[in-house]
Amino acid sequence: MIPRFQELIDRHHDEIFVYLWRLLGKTRRFDVSLDVEDLVQEVFMRAYKRFSRLRPDSNYRAWLYRIATNCAFSRLRRAKIHRDKMALLETCVAGASESATDETSNGDLRAAVEQLSPKQKACITLRYFDDLDYSEIAAIVGCSTVSARANVSQAIRQLRVALKE
Amino acid sequence: MKLTPINDSEIKQRLGTAMDAPSVPQLSRSYARVREWFNQTAPFIQWDRMDCPLGRLFVGVSRQGLCAVDFGRDERAFLGRFDRQARLEKSPKAVSQAIAELREYFSGARKNFTLPVDLSALTAFQRSVLETACRIPSGQVWTYQRVAREMHRPKSSRPVGQALASNPIPIVIPCHRVIASDGSLGGYSGGSGIEAKRWLLRLEGVLS
Repeated sequence: MIPRFQELIDRHHDEIFVYLWRLLGKTRRFDVSLDVEDLVQEVFMRAYKRFSRLRPDSNYRAWLYRIATNCAFSRLRRAKIHRDKMALLETCVAGASESATDETSNGDLRAAVEQLSPKQKACITLRYFDDLDYSEIAAIVGCSTVSARANVSQAIRQLRVALKE
Repeated sequence: MKLTPINDSEIKQRLGTAMDAPSVPQLSRSYARVREWFNQTAPFIQWDRMDCPLGRLFVGVSRQGLCAVDFGRDERAFLGRFDRQARLEKSPKAVSQAIAELREYFSGARKNFTLPVDLSALTAFQRSVLETACRIPSGQVWTYQRVAREMHRPKSSRPVGQALASNPIPIVIPCHRVIASDGSLGGYSGGSGIEAKRWLLRLEGVLS
């Protein structure tokens, strides 16, 4: 049963915010168009426009995450941020070294996470923080279940390689 | 910091350290911003309920006026009739005038209602039918055919009946004052159906 839209906001705002916060990662600090608050508002505005078309048996949580993912990918494409991974890596490493309390390994892992493609990052965030299964992740990022699983395992592999494990 | 051994909880824990989370004030600020936008955008319905001789009765008002009266159903069914995008708020104060006039009506002290009504969710034809029904004086009944004639659409008795059945504000818009040409009560979609219609017409002195 799909809740009323106001309940959708109350129940899911926070997790959508945290998801987008993690998905944009440190890039959000370097581009004003990637303001997470703006993005969250855009997500709910888009959801509101399409809400009446949602079927009663829909997985509305996955639907909301899909809108959030599309909004984020679209902003990232416009900002062309993920096309220059080297520049991104530099800013991330610099950002990590700014924090005196960071452990080096955490900083490395952070930088490695930032190097992942937006789709990989979305997949691991949805898998490990939002506890969604692969079929839901596939529906959200717009790929097959096999591809969603592959994105997660490739991301984990990349992180391990980056940390030279 | 190593990623092995790889299992879900381990990865989750390590990623959690690497991928920071927003602060509570950041979340609260964003939530307030989204709610503010929603409050300004969504249709706003305030509602409350009262007990009356026909059972529990629900009343809803929009920014434009009275938009819903319902009885013989539970709260969930009443709230379920509104657009899922609308903002709903239980507010005895907002519907106090409507409830006061309805109480007067049920006590026999009021014949007509003075509340502004909101029929914006209806088609032009439905609105026209309901506006015509509002012209039927208390204590009288018209036939579906008479309502159609008054609207200069004499062949539209059946559509008139359908439009009356979609009346979102029964009692206040007196669709119960419309009966069949053969003198039978016709239909009624409010509360217990024909029994409720009979009760209302008895209250208004049409039936003994």
